[in-house]
Amino acid sequence: METVAPQKEIIDAVKAAGGDAFKSCYQCGMCDTVCPWNRVHRFSMRKLVREATFGLTEIDSEDIWRCTTCGKCPQVCPRDVRQIESGVALRRIATEYDVFAGAAAPIPGIAANLRAEGNPFGEARSKRADWAKGLGVKRFEEGMEVMYSPGCYLSYDPRGKKIAKATVEILQAAGVNFGILGTDESCCGESIRKTGDENLFRTLARSNIAQLVANGVRKILVSSPHCYHSFKNEYPEFMVHFEVVHITEFIHQLITDGRLKLTKPVAKNVTYHDPCYLGRHNGIFEQPRQALMAVPGLQLTEMAENRKNSFCCGGGGGRIWMETPKGERFSDLRLEQAAATGAQVLVTACPYCITNFEDSRLGRADGGASIEIKDMTEIIREAI
Amino acid sequence: MEFGLLQQQWNTQNALRPADDNMGDVMVIGGGISGIQSALDLSADGYKVYLVEKSPTVGGKMSQLDKTFPTNDCSMCIESPKFIETDRAPNIQLLTYTDVDSVEGQPGDFTVTVLKKPRYVNADKCTGCTTCVARCPVKIPDPFNQEMSLAKAVHIYFAQAVPLVTYIDDSCLFLKDKTCGICQGVCENDAIDFGQKAEKVKIKVGAIILSPGYETFNPLPRNDYGYGVFKNVVTSMDFERLLCSTGPDEGQILRPSDHKHPNKIAWIHCVGSRQVNPSGGNSYCSAVCCSYTQKQVILAKDHLPDLHAKIFHNDIRSYGKDFERFYQRAQKLPDVHFVRSYVSVGSEDPVSGDVSIRYTTPDGVVEEFFELVVLSVGLVPPKDAQRFSKVFGIELNQHGFCKVEPFNPLQTSRPGIFTSGAFQGPMDIPESVMGASGAGAQAANLLKSRRGQLSTDRVYPPEKDVSQDEAKIGVFVCRCGANIGSVVDVPGVAEYAKGLPGVVHVEDSMFACATNTAQAISDTIRDKGLNRVVIAACTPRTLEPLFRDTLREAGMNQYYIDMANIREHCSWVHSKEKEAATAKSKDLVRMSVARVGELEPLDEFSLPVDKNALVIGGGVAGMTSAHTLAEQGYETYLIEKASDLGGVASRLHFTLEGMDVQSFLKELKKKVYRHPKIHILLDASITHVDGYVGNFTTTVKSKGRTRTIKHGAAIIATGASEYRPTEYLYGQSEQVMTLLEMEGKLAAQEEKLLAAQNVVMIQCVGCRNADRNYCARVCCSGTMKNALKMKELRPEVEIYVLFRDIRTYGFRENYYLKAAHQNVKFIRYESDDQPQLESIKQGGRSVIRVTALDPILDKKLELDADAIVLAAAVIPAEGSADLARMFKVPLGPDGFFQEAHLKLRPVDFAAEGVYLCGTAQYPKHLSETITQAYGAAGRALTLLSNDTVTASGAVCSVTPRDCVSCGACISVCTYGAISFEDTPGGKKAVVNSVLCKGDGLCVAKCPTAAISLSHFTDDEVFTQIDAALAEI
Repeated sequence: METVAPQKEIIDAVKAAGGDAFKSCYQCGMCDTVCPWNRVHRFSMRKLVREATFGLTEIDSEDIWRCTTCGKCPQVCPRDVRQIESGVALRRIATEYDVFAGAAAPIPGIAANLRAEGNPFGEARSKRADWAKGLGVKRFEEGMEVMYSPGCYLSYDPRGKKIAKATVEILQAAGVNFGILGTDESCCGESIRKTGDENLFRTLARSNIAQLVANGVRKILVSSPHCYHSFKNEYPEFMVHFEVVHITEFIHQLITDGRLKLTKPVAKNVTYHDPCYLGRHNGIFEQPRQALMAVPGLQLTEMAENRKNSFCCGGGGGRIWMETPKGERFSDLRLEQAAATGAQVLVTACPYCITNFEDSRLGRADGGASIEIKDMTEIIREAI
Repeated sequence: MEFGLLQQQWNTQNALRPADDNMGDVMVIGGGISGIQSALDLSADGYKVYLVEKSPTVGGKMSQLDKTFPTNDCSMCIESPKFIETDRAPNIQLLTYTDVDSVEGQPGDFTVTVLKKPRYVNADKCTGCTTCVARCPVKIPDPFNQEMSLAKAVHIYFAQAVPLVTYIDDSCLFLKDKTCGICQGVCENDAIDFGQKAEKVKIKVGAIILSPGYETFNPLPRNDYGYGVFKNVVTSMDFERLLCSTGPDEGQILRPSDHKHPNKIAWIHCVGSRQVNPSGGNSYCSAVCCSYTQKQVILAKDHLPDLHAKIFHNDIRSYGKDFERFYQRAQKLPDVHFVRSYVSVGSEDPVSGDVSIRYTTPDGVVEEFFELVVLSVGLVPPKDAQRFSKVFGIELNQHGFCKVEPFNPLQTSRPGIFTSGAFQGPMDIPESVMGASGAGAQAANLLKSRRGQLSTDRVYPPEKDVSQDEAKIGVFVCRCGANIGSVVDVPGVAEYAKGLPGVVHVEDSMFACATNTAQAISDTIRDKGLNRVVIAACTPRTLEPLFRDTLREAGMNQYYIDMANIREHCSWVHSKEKEAATAKSKDLVRMSVARVGELEPLDEFSLPVDKNALVIGGGVAGMTSAHTLAEQGYETYLIEKASDLGGVASRLHFTLEGMDVQSFLKELKKKVYRHPKIHILLDASITHVDGYVGNFTTTVKSKGRTRTIKHGAAIIATGASEYRPTEYLYGQSEQVMTLLEMEGKLAAQEEKLLAAQNVVMIQCVGCRNADRNYCARVCCSGTMKNALKMKELRPEVEIYVLFRDIRTYGFRENYYLKAAHQNVKFIRYESDDQPQLESIKQGGRSVIRVTALDPILDKKLELDADAIVLAAAVIPAEGSADLARMFKVPLGPDGFFQEAHLKLRPVDFAAEGVYLCGTAQYPKHLSETITQAYGAAGRALTLLSNDTVTASGAVCSVTPRDCVSCGACISVCTYGAISFEDTPGGKKAVVNSVLCKGDGLCVAKCPTAAISLSHFTDDEVFTQIDAALAEI
């Protein structure tokens, strides 16, 4: 058996990078029991924590890239080990040394795209607002009710553009005075930060904040829970304080205020998947559900693992950009759970979840015939 | 039974009782086991006590338990005799169903306003017959059974309730909208009184003892592990009720969803404890859950032999006396698995109702379904904690428990108000009981000038002389709920008893110990003119004193009773053979009936009490108890073998909580040295001990002089020692030291130690092994203490702790967390793979290379240490065996002194007059030692406060004519009760009846049958044997 000695320099480096909370761990194993990885593969967060505590972390291990930052383990950890912050600390060191093992190989490329074009796809910044062409979407002006920020996926990805379209149609139907920043906007930076690229995150954040301030933005409406999380919880690190609202919250408010009237029936049996960054990380569980239940004819069935026990789709923590081998994809499992409820539609409210579920759907035995994947806005749009 | 007659007797009894004047000495708040103990001790001391309890009966949480760890005694069996003792003690005014409204005043002169809640039942008229209960139409969830079964709106809380009076819950139809009234109609004694109102009463007392106990952590708000969502997830208290024969299913373990026996049960540790996240839990360890879980596993295995049990934990806290052996007992059971992993709950199978648990194993995460999941919930402050803080003007600590003085855990933040039991923090029953005696002692000290002024003596009716009468035997057969009743055909045995010679009355009951039954026995004796009683029930060890007292209440000599043990000796050991068990019960009853006819009346002895005390051991325990006794006015001799007082505390400098031990010790020594009533003998050794309770004579040699001390009570406080390791290079390398040695060096800020870069601390050295199969209790906390102190002095030092289980129980868990926050690293090792040490030179430095396997990394860690600290075991003090022999008290299997009863008599010995405290009893922390020392003093006070003490009448005596002076009896008597006396007829053996414990060994040995044992004479025993063989 291998004999090792603790490495003080590495322990110090990990702490300096934000991984101080590792020290609190008392090896109870609770993290491993809730981690979605252990439903598809064998992975021990506890071991990662232990290695970091003794400075024995191998930064060329692919294990430090597995975490999707879903939040299940910090939610239950009795010693408050803050696995996400601590895990990101390890990735910061790896990023510093330019070591991206295993599935993390694409990350440098993504980072390059973000730096160059302000989006992970590497598509031209000038095309960021193309999705809005012909939809009557205005440029944001100070004094408007909200600034709508669709995020990178809704701006560039073909599937995402459909969601952006449904979203603006809802806003227009409700008479909301909104505008977009279009090409002046860059990626929120939430996911690249979770891969350990702190510098790039700061660059993106500063750029976005400058634009927000310059354009007189007060209230930001987002579609992606990741943007929501970043604008709301991380941007205040730069001493700014914007009001941030997620589209599901906003729609629920519009319905409650009577501004949005849902009159067309959508007679479908649907089940709702709580995205990690909307539900578990930010506590928004009921508004999406209540909005769905306001749709005439819609039947909402719950999956067993719902609300704060929701099962991650596998997209967070930068893993949306990483290749996960078949048989290890969380979204496959989650889609089966959805299908098992008898629902015809799996509804959710996050572009990463949509992307992963659509992918899983195609991989199903029946080619995806028996279940559809829809964003909440797409369902609401049908009911107007 | 004639109700008219009963009514007459009740009225007479009540007329004789004077109306209370609302003035007393001490008020005890909380009628659980701790409050009861304080009340009984103070009552015996001659103080008048008000015992206030908010629920309808005394008993507290202990009354809800099935059995208690680690002895697995039936909880109600050992607790309920104390209820009746409390009820019968004239110095105790019992106020049940009563809350405290406000408190004013100062020590010595408090006015407490209590709120007597309306029972809507007149306690003076109610006989506890339960006719109203039978007829009441309203069913409510039964609070005693954790709401898992139904009770009626009018009901008695539980069968052994004291007082045995019903109360009416708010769901009563009459109380809600004046409909119904059936109970009023059927009550033959007109006891229902819907006009009752809450009544405020002002009571003046001199001191207050708070013992409101604890609550269990409620997992419902957070739905921990699916509680409240999945049907088959229950709490440990729910499970305790399921186990109990007085529970919802009469002792059948039936799971909530389908009432089937669960054959696969999971226990989850630390529910609500040891967590700083998520919010709603507590950071401390609840101290008792590991042991109570092991108890539940052992009992469940007994109920369900095919049980597959998995216990999920992260450290087993088996730190107490006999806990480690209890843990091993559970581990050894077939198909019982202790799994080191916290868990998360998965899902509920909609068809079977089974619940899945996810846990880690060395081979990855496993999901397993269980038929029942039991949550080992922690302990939280009692419901009234916040309110009491305001009402009593006392401070609570950060966790909401009672804040106590660091070196006096029984003193609250307000003078005159003391506390005991779990209100201070999670603790087990022995701690609660010794604390209760200790709080009693402190209250007594406060009020010493008033002792006896308000006290009333117990008066028994005159004893009738029935020795010339023909035997009229009453047989009372008990079902003991399902304990006896589910195996033995109790009505059949009762029927059989009717046909036995001499039997004139037979009765069977559900619980003979139940208050009403005990009262009924007294009444039946009087009504039917019985002169002999046979109780066919449980072991005499639990309830014989209660039944003997019951006979006295009925005007009968208390020795006219025999108990046929048809529970421990029958139904419990032959639970699978009902017919044979019933036949055996009949045999046992027949034998008892035969014997009881031969029994003679015996008198107990009253002996004078010498009002001096002797305390052996001048450490913190000895000094504290000596000072407490001296404060009460008793001349106390304090014997210490060293040249100065102090004991092991002389080597302690700081506690985990950061208290300065040396200044505390200095103050204590000063108090003791200066006290006019304490006589100190240093450099002392005891050469001889003679005598018996109330009348000891001890010879002590001190500084060349020999003295003989006469004393009534003795307290053994001889402490313990630190094991001197032979392992881990101790003695071979200067770099290896023990915890105590490290503490000394830290206090002196020794350069060499402070220069260390790496320190490795190894736990469990010299214990938890074949040589010493116990846990030394204090070392895990001691290690945290020293590690934190070292970090304070030298923040850059690296400290590694190699452990097997971290046993920082109670609030000490917070310091485990603190140590982790300060980067102390913890590495677990298994007992069969101990760390390897090697003394080497590394880069010019002499280090000790420690190699240990880390089970999580699955790699061997190599640590180069500048200092090794061994958590060396606490071992019994030298000379314990000699002292034990001299005082005729036993040592336990680990060499520590053995108390009378591990749970309820933790400072007494079976031999009366001798008491025990401190680490002589078992390793413990300084604060626990202080508590126990006050407790031992409290118990000694109950002896010294009285002018006489009573000794049993069942003793041996010699017929001199038949004695041949062989001396066999003397050699076999372990109590030294027999000696030779010169008589005109030669040397004859003579028994000192006070020392004699009546075990009968001498009787068996005597070749000429010259010696006989009263209450077990040859005639009595042979009659019993003849009766046994009669039907063969």
